[in-house]
Amino acid sequence: MIELQGLTKTYAGKDVVKDVSLRIESGEFGVLIGPSGCGKSTTLRMINRLIPLTQGRIFLGEEDVTELPAEQLRRRIGYAIQSTGLFPHWTVAENIAVVPGLLKWDKSRTSQRVDELLNLFHLDAGEFRDKYPHQLSGGQAQRVGVARALAADPEVLLMDEPFGAVDPLTRDVLQNEMLRVHQQTGKTIVFVTHDMDEALKLASRIAILNAGRLVQYDRPIELLTQPADDFVRSFIGKADLGLKLLSRRWVHQYQQPARVLEHPASFDNDAASAAYGWEVDAQGRALCLHGGRLHADENEQRTQVTHEWTATPDMTMKEALSRMVWFRVMVLPVLDDKERLVGEVAMQGVMGHEPSKQQALGQE
Amino acid sequence: MMRAMTLRAPTQTRTWLLITLSILLVVLVLFMEELKPLFEWVFPDLRSPLYDRESFLQLTLDHLLLVLVSSIISVSVGVGAGLFVTRRNGREFEPLVSSLAAIGQTFPPAAVLAIVVPLAGFGFIPTIVALTLYGLLPVVQNTIAGLGTVPATTLEAARGTGMSRTQVLLRVELPLAMRVIIAGVRVSVIINIGTATIGSTVGAQSLGTPIIAGLVGNNIAYVIQGAVLVGLLAIVTDLFFERLERRFSVGG
Repeated sequence: MIELQGLTKTYAGKDVVKDVSLRIESGEFGVLIGPSGCGKSTTLRMINRLIPLTQGRIFLGEEDVTELPAEQLRRRIGYAIQSTGLFPHWTVAENIAVVPGLLKWDKSRTSQRVDELLNLFHLDAGEFRDKYPHQLSGGQAQRVGVARALAADPEVLLMDEPFGAVDPLTRDVLQNEMLRVHQQTGKTIVFVTHDMDEALKLASRIAILNAGRLVQYDRPIELLTQPADDFVRSFIGKADLGLKLLSRRWVHQYQQPARVLEHPASFDNDAASAAYGWEVDAQGRALCLHGGRLHADENEQRTQVTHEWTATPDMTMKEALSRMVWFRVMVLPVLDDKERLVGEVAMQGVMGHEPSKQQALGQE
Repeated sequence: MMRAMTLRAPTQTRTWLLITLSILLVVLVLFMEELKPLFEWVFPDLRSPLYDRESFLQLTLDHLLLVLVSSIISVSVGVGAGLFVTRRNGREFEPLVSSLAAIGQTFPPAAVLAIVVPLAGFGFIPTIVALTLYGLLPVVQNTIAGLGTVPATTLEAARGTGMSRTQVLLRVELPLAMRVIIAGVRVSVIINIGTATIGSTVGAQSLGTPIIAGLVGNNIAYVIQGAVLVGLLAIVTDLFFERLERRFSVGG
């Protein structure tokens, strides 16, 4: 748990962070977001005292951070930054082992921990241990950066725009891995970004800062549905608010039982009919969709199920909708991890019912 | 494969050059007397075509001692000053130290000798002072530049992991700056190998002694004997430092 109380930072008479108070519970994924110069990075760096605070208090659990020696404090807090900050003259293993080294862990324990972390990020320990940072791709280097931050099993992980310098494709992969690592480790995370989509994807709570002040601190869904003021509204971006909302909704909330055809051969492929149904094999795997095209005049009325246009229960509705539009279908098959048809999600469903608030928040 | 070989070839050539020239240097230092017939043949008019007041081994050792002592002082003072002005407390002294070191190099070494001799007398000491001042600038400059090449994100990451300031300096800053610092030391030492010869004008024995004697006594053979050894010494030292620098290069 991290609690900031009336945190203030003054540079040359100007308040860059002004009276920020917020509390991030254990295991939460907190995101600080705001435009450039809003004080989000400064706030983050006051937590591990890279920047001394002017006023206020910071609690890590029950302890007042400002009373601990700075170096000891930092060894208990993981810190990952943009462009990784990996030490170029050390191997991947040596980089990850920095904090265990400072804490004087013995060799075998450190070595074991390095392998464990490389595995956590799906990096083959045998291959990557002895590589130097310049031999890594941007995504790999960023993973090693986060692994280093997690090395000594810190109570809290601070991340300062860690994925700001990688390409969009890699960023998406890294975000998914971060969610998985967060779930697996249950760490309390404080994450700084200026990218609202990234915040909505990762955060369990979002703090919006503007000109050094905390404007709103809420769960993502509440931020989208009940923005505190015009600044928040404009910062979220009105244009694709609907889509952003769908990025916090999951397929399983909209999922309906699949209409499985008993006799696919006798399905009426009448172009004018809106009817559709699924053909499945003996193992319950979806084979193809009869009917259900976006436009009734599409010539092919029988669509093979391919991996690209299926959905999974934990996919966001934004992505599901995007797939429907791209593959010109009215309905997506929802498959479990063994590719069995467990339901369907349809375009009418997205437009139609709104999941109850309880349901929507259940994912948070 | 081809590319790797073409890249490696010059390195290997230079290694062989280093070995060959080192052997040549040692042989010339030890057996210069054996070349007496050669010098007699080339310079038939000279009454004494081989410098024989001291052995060339002794002259070379004296020369090396001058360079070694002055370089040790230059490097300690230079790296120390460079470190001081890149720390938080010394940052404001950076322009002062940089210009002092630059002034040290604009003084011709002969002028420094002219100033120091009346103060410290003839011989070893004034030569050391002149060489030290002269060799300071490259070390100071490269120490500051080398530490400046360490990326800010690397430093922030180092502090973020909980290293103390000393740990950041010893484990991150110095190793990363080492290649550039050594390049500065290389320039400084090479300059001093050449400049040490003028120490002979104020009575410090070195490989400059036969050169000065030759210039004064109009004996070109003495000049050649001294100059060849100084030149070889400088080239061998330079090649050695080049290898040393490469060992400290990071990220290929």
